[in-house]
Amino acid sequence: MRAVGEPGVKPRRAQHPERVILFYVSDYMFAIEAEAVQEIRSTDSLAGGAVEIENPGLAKVRHTFERGRQTCYVVNACVHFHLPITRPSLVLILRQLRVGVLVDRIDRMAEILALYALPEAFTGEERHWYRGLTYLDDTVIPVIDPAGFMSAEDFRRLDRAQKAATSSGELERVVTS
Amino acid sequence: MNARESTAQPSFVILQIGDRRFALPSETVVELAPPVRLHRFPHTSPLLAGVIVRRGRIVPVYDAASVLIGRPSSSQRFYLIARRQPNRANDLGAIAVNGECQLASGDVRPPGSDSSAWVAGTLELPDDSVEVLNFSALAASQPAASSESTAEGARS
Repeated sequence: MRAVGEPGVKPRRAQHPERVILFYVSDYMFAIEAEAVQEIRSTDSLAGGAVEIENPGLAKVRHTFERGRQTCYVVNACVHFHLPITRPSLVLILRQLRVGVLVDRIDRMAEILALYALPEAFTGEERHWYRGLTYLDDTVIPVIDPAGFMSAEDFRRLDRAQKAATSSGELERVVTS
Repeated sequence: MNARESTAQPSFVILQIGDRRFALPSETVVELAPPVRLHRFPHTSPLLAGVIVRRGRIVPVYDAASVLIGRPSSSQRFYLIARRQPNRANDLGAIAVNGECQLASGDVRPPGSDSSAWVAGTLELPDDSVEVLNFSALAASQPAASSESTAEGARS
């Protein structure tokens, strides 16, 4: 579902409702398209496979985990949205993207019938964070753009750092053996 | 003043923010909305307090008091909804007001050279003179004291 109409214009009802997962980060509710989430895991279950980044170049990413043969990055949603830090209990592992997102808790799944374009008055980072807004149970909820958690440049920078760290580790092992 | 003079004079909606009065050109004002829920969510745009839902539309709400009187005002419960730019009917914004609005006409003096960007002029009323707001310039203003992130600030 795409945001319909100009900002401020009443949205048309979508022909097909979109299923979303409603979740909380630091007392704020967000929605993300259910199709964009491959898996929801507890932080405890991920902890065993997560690796801490030694010199994080991006404050919101402190850990990686492996999925298939790919390195995925764990984004702290509190840091991403500039919210007070909480203790996350779940990780939303995104489909199509090498990203896991730390969130506080899942509220429920829901169907949204309309997506409102973010009003033009919003000019900051939120234009990358959200696909738009939805109105559910008398509450306006931002609908996340999964691609907004990490930019292509973020991936390049972290991939470079990871590669350098891996090479350094291998060199260290050769020297000490 | 005869009828012809009266119609020739532009009309304004006078609104009160804190203990000061301001004017908005009436042709830009859409409605005075009753107290409704202000919805907040994380963002980094300065001066935006959140959004309200009015007649099926999502309307951004500006914390105009931070610019106009230098501090947020907690006594404003109504919302004056206006076009941010006169020629764009769907580009709406809202300012929280205390609900005491009135319609007035009068002569407008151009803004002084030292006026803020959001001052479009000064409306001369029989008992007072009030600054006329340029809503689009006001919307582009920075709050008087903004040292913390808006996303976090939206929690208050």
